[in-house]
Amino acid sequence: MPQQIDWSVLWRPPFGEMVVGAVLTTLELSLVSWAFALILGVAIGMARAAPLRAARLLATAYVELFRNIPLLVQLFFVYYVLPRLLPEPLRQGLFRLGWEPASAVLTLALYTSAKIAEHVRSGLNAVGRPVQLGALSTGLTWLQAQRHVVAPLVLRTIVPSLASEFVTVFKSSSLAMTVGVVETSYLTQQLGLQTFHWIEANTMGIAVYLVCAWSVALLMSLVERWSRVPGVLGRRTLP
Amino acid sequence: MGWAALIQLASALLWINLRLTLTAIAIALPVACLFALGRLSRLPLLYYPLTAYVNVLRSSPLLMIMFWAYYTGPMITGSPASAYMAALIALAAFEAAYFTEIVRAGIQSIATSQRRAALATGLSPAQAARYIILPQALRRMLPSLVTQSIIAFQDSTIASVIGVTDIFQMTNIISAREQRPIALYTGLAAMFFVLCYGLSRAARGLESRMAARVAGGAAP
Repeated sequence: MPQQIDWSVLWRPPFGEMVVGAVLTTLELSLVSWAFALILGVAIGMARAAPLRAARLLATAYVELFRNIPLLVQLFFVYYVLPRLLPEPLRQGLFRLGWEPASAVLTLALYTSAKIAEHVRSGLNAVGRPVQLGALSTGLTWLQAQRHVVAPLVLRTIVPSLASEFVTVFKSSSLAMTVGVVETSYLTQQLGLQTFHWIEANTMGIAVYLVCAWSVALLMSLVERWSRVPGVLGRRTLP
Repeated sequence: MGWAALIQLASALLWINLRLTLTAIAIALPVACLFALGRLSRLPLLYYPLTAYVNVLRSSPLLMIMFWAYYTGPMITGSPASAYMAALIALAAFEAAYFTEIVRAGIQSIATSQRRAALATGLSPAQAARYIILPQALRRMLPSLVTQSIIAFQDSTIASVIGVTDIFQMTNIISAREQRPIALYTGLAAMFFVLCYGLSRAARGLESRMAARVAGGAAP
């Protein structure tokens, strides 16, 4: 082994501050993307069961498009290609304002929303149909039925699947390093390349993602317990 | 953009991404079958380490596992690995964790009565697993395995981050040389879409055919 293990590289200047900043960037990227993805995903998932054929087709195309292209390719498409379709001054403004993190958030949100939409649709198929018909027969409009009856029930039943997507957002956010966002993976690589303390750097990197993943899993299991529909069995496995 | 660039792209796709994915799956699937049995076993020495393995690998980004394999691996083993080798090890280890959970769920979905019947005919537990449980479970879990394999194929592009010249990296190189990013990245996205959508449609077809057969077989 080329050198001794020295954990202090992780908090000694100049890296200590950078580690904290990178971890905060990972949190920020993931949480902002997740918020957008949740709203968009629920809307598109609902649209896939809408009474309008065009809405259904569009929503299905959206989901298939984002599901079948690697996230890395999507990210580069959004980061490189989209700005080139804009007029020059607008493009420069975009890059001045920080297109790197913005393109990462946009890509992550679109990609994750497609996956959430899939879960919403399968939740809708599992519990929604009779409830939806019942709600409509009481005289609610389609939108009212979704808003007051179907969505609350469906969302509560798909909490476990949403939890796993929430964890995936944190994992996926690591790809933002490829467009130059200084988040945890980026800093892990830089720390390793500059100090050659790879074991320490990589341990830090993976620990950050594990702590994020397990905190989210814990949080979502609390949400699951709190939002459980009475009378419906949760994820409890039978003996 | 000439034929040379297209040939470069196609060979990167076949020789790197496809080979990487298929080799990783070929390693991960048998490993996952063993791991799944371990996850279902009552021996704490098997159950806890394997559960921890699955949990850790599934909670961390593939990119991080590639960093471990590429940067830290050689420091521990003392021998340098090529970027391709590191990517292969990382992808295989990563997919093994996902496959383990798919196989475990598949085995659990085969009723315990099947196992009891097998044991009653005099088969050993290992024989029951090999001849009775696994063939049925594998058939049932095939759609999920195909879906996960499609995800693995998409994830193989992440190898470019540790320096493997796969189709994504090749696109970056040609895009820098020819200054035609719009055509190149759109083409790359379209290529992946056609391949992955086609495969997932085929998997869905398989699923409904199999569901029909199971339903038919269940009828008296």
